[in-house]
Amino acid sequence: MAQYAELIQPGRVHSAVFTSEDIYEAELENIFYRYWMFVAHESEIPQPGDYCTKWIGQKQVIVSRAADGEIGVFFNRCRHRGAAVCMEEYGNASFFRCPYHGWTYNSSGDLVGVPYPSRYGDDFDKSSLGLAKVARVGSVAGFIFASMAEEGPTLAEHLGKAAGYLEDFVKASPLSTVSLSAGTSKSTFWGNWKFVGMDGYHTNFTHKTVLDLRQRKQGASYSRGAGNSDKSSNESWDLGNGHCRLDLTGKDKVAVGSASNTSIAANIPDTDDGREYMRLMTETYGDEAPEVIRRSRDVHIHVWPNLQLIGSQVRVIRSLAAGRTEVMSYPAMLDGVPDSINTERIRSFEWFSGVASFGTPDDTEVFERNQIGLQSDYIPWLVLGRGLTVAPQEDGSLVGNVTDEVPQRAQMQAWLRAMGPESAVDVAVRTEGEAK
Amino acid sequence: MALLGDVTEFLLLEAELADANAYDEWLALWDDPCTYWVPCNRDDYDPTKHVSIIYDDRARLEERCFRLTTGGAHSQEPQSKVCRMVGSIRVVDAQGADDTVEVTARVIMVELRLGRKSVYAARCHYTLWRSPSGFKLRRKKVMLLDADEPLGNMTFLI
Repeated sequence: MAQYAELIQPGRVHSAVFTSEDIYEAELENIFYRYWMFVAHESEIPQPGDYCTKWIGQKQVIVSRAADGEIGVFFNRCRHRGAAVCMEEYGNASFFRCPYHGWTYNSSGDLVGVPYPSRYGDDFDKSSLGLAKVARVGSVAGFIFASMAEEGPTLAEHLGKAAGYLEDFVKASPLSTVSLSAGTSKSTFWGNWKFVGMDGYHTNFTHKTVLDLRQRKQGASYSRGAGNSDKSSNESWDLGNGHCRLDLTGKDKVAVGSASNTSIAANIPDTDDGREYMRLMTETYGDEAPEVIRRSRDVHIHVWPNLQLIGSQVRVIRSLAAGRTEVMSYPAMLDGVPDSINTERIRSFEWFSGVASFGTPDDTEVFERNQIGLQSDYIPWLVLGRGLTVAPQEDGSLVGNVTDEVPQRAQMQAWLRAMGPESAVDVAVRTEGEAK
Repeated sequence: MALLGDVTEFLLLEAELADANAYDEWLALWDDPCTYWVPCNRDDYDPTKHVSIIYDDRARLEERCFRLTTGGAHSQEPQSKVCRMVGSIRVVDAQGADDTVEVTARVIMVELRLGRKSVYAARCHYTLWRSPSGFKLRRKKVMLLDADEPLGNMTFLI
């Protein structure tokens, strides 16, 4: 037995963190069923009666907008004998009716119908048998989070400095709202969920073909890989509470027709619609418009534990087993812009993201090779020591070079706090020099 | 029936080149411009408003094949081994617009990579242009049975 604190050490992490099924089970309880988890975006359920079904760990929930517009998150389980009451991913309904014995719930989750009620006693209380609610629900910039813990940090406390980046993300729209209306790119891989992080060191190697493609397109003017080296002015950030980001757009000059230097942000096309987009943004944000666009085009943040915003995409991570992960990705559409601007976002999303794209499959391949490699745990330590001596900023943030492992350490520290540094775990940690 | 025979020959050649990961020869079957579409979530929608698994125009299709031949596409190193059956081939319009033929077929693909075998099934729709040198693929739409399921590595030629 070991304590979790023995697995997460300064600059190194034990491979059991990624391979142990016991740890996976403990993560469900300590993280997925306790922390503020991203569940859905308000745009997925815009109208009263709209609902969607989502997963938090192994538990399926219904995210529902009631007749009064209130958003609730309920477990998808009939209070009678436990059958799931809703099998659709999206829909609009006044009622959820269990197919087993016809118990019926409204869009607020209240039990409103029980067939043949005369056979229950007088103490049968329908009002106490509504769909079980996830304890706490909150939203920021349309992003709905839910926590199964009745007490604990508020959503605002949990998000901390990450909240501002959620706000920035939606400001790519002149209405400051986005819609997840363009479908879901769904994927799985055979590796641990914690590999899906924020890494600025892998780009020039894992994504060698992305650099090749850019070079092919831009020719001699392309400064190959410059944004992703130890000499780059791009940055890696620890925002606290496990939230972390890469700053890949800090030096972007925002103008119609100019692409982001080093991020996968969608271009503002040099077209009438591109100019119209700039006009609309200027109408809303005035002289700040170029800066608003620069900040919004690739916030590149991991909102710990399960949400990422990268370029135009919203990415949601779910652990299925120590070595199995599901990733749902949504290209976020900007409200109030010409259609072709959003089409460009979709095409740009497909270029890098998705199971047959030119980017993420190579990330996934590496995650799967991680899972293979970590089984060979004769020397079980992963080295996370890049930029270890980075000093905190005044607000407590850590900011390193883009290739530093600042984000990885941020997440491991948040993970350690969630799991409990002193808690026991069934892993043998040998001391230095000892055989396993 | 001669047309169905010619169409069948072409679709089997396309399948064979895809199975062989013969990216350049496979690319040479395509017209310019062309559309290679693998829908996501459902079979039919406006691709300017909904994400696709693949929605390649000619330029992006060339990028796809370039990427797979330039070295460093880790998701295809090693390459997938694929064995596909093309069946239920029907000419649905022998006199399509602009000297084309509209064809539908069913495809079953078994893909093997790093010890994992996956089975994919799809309904396919092809628009073939009768070029002076034979058919060219002007449009191929692959409607995967799994379009709305979480998928793994789909970087082999579908």
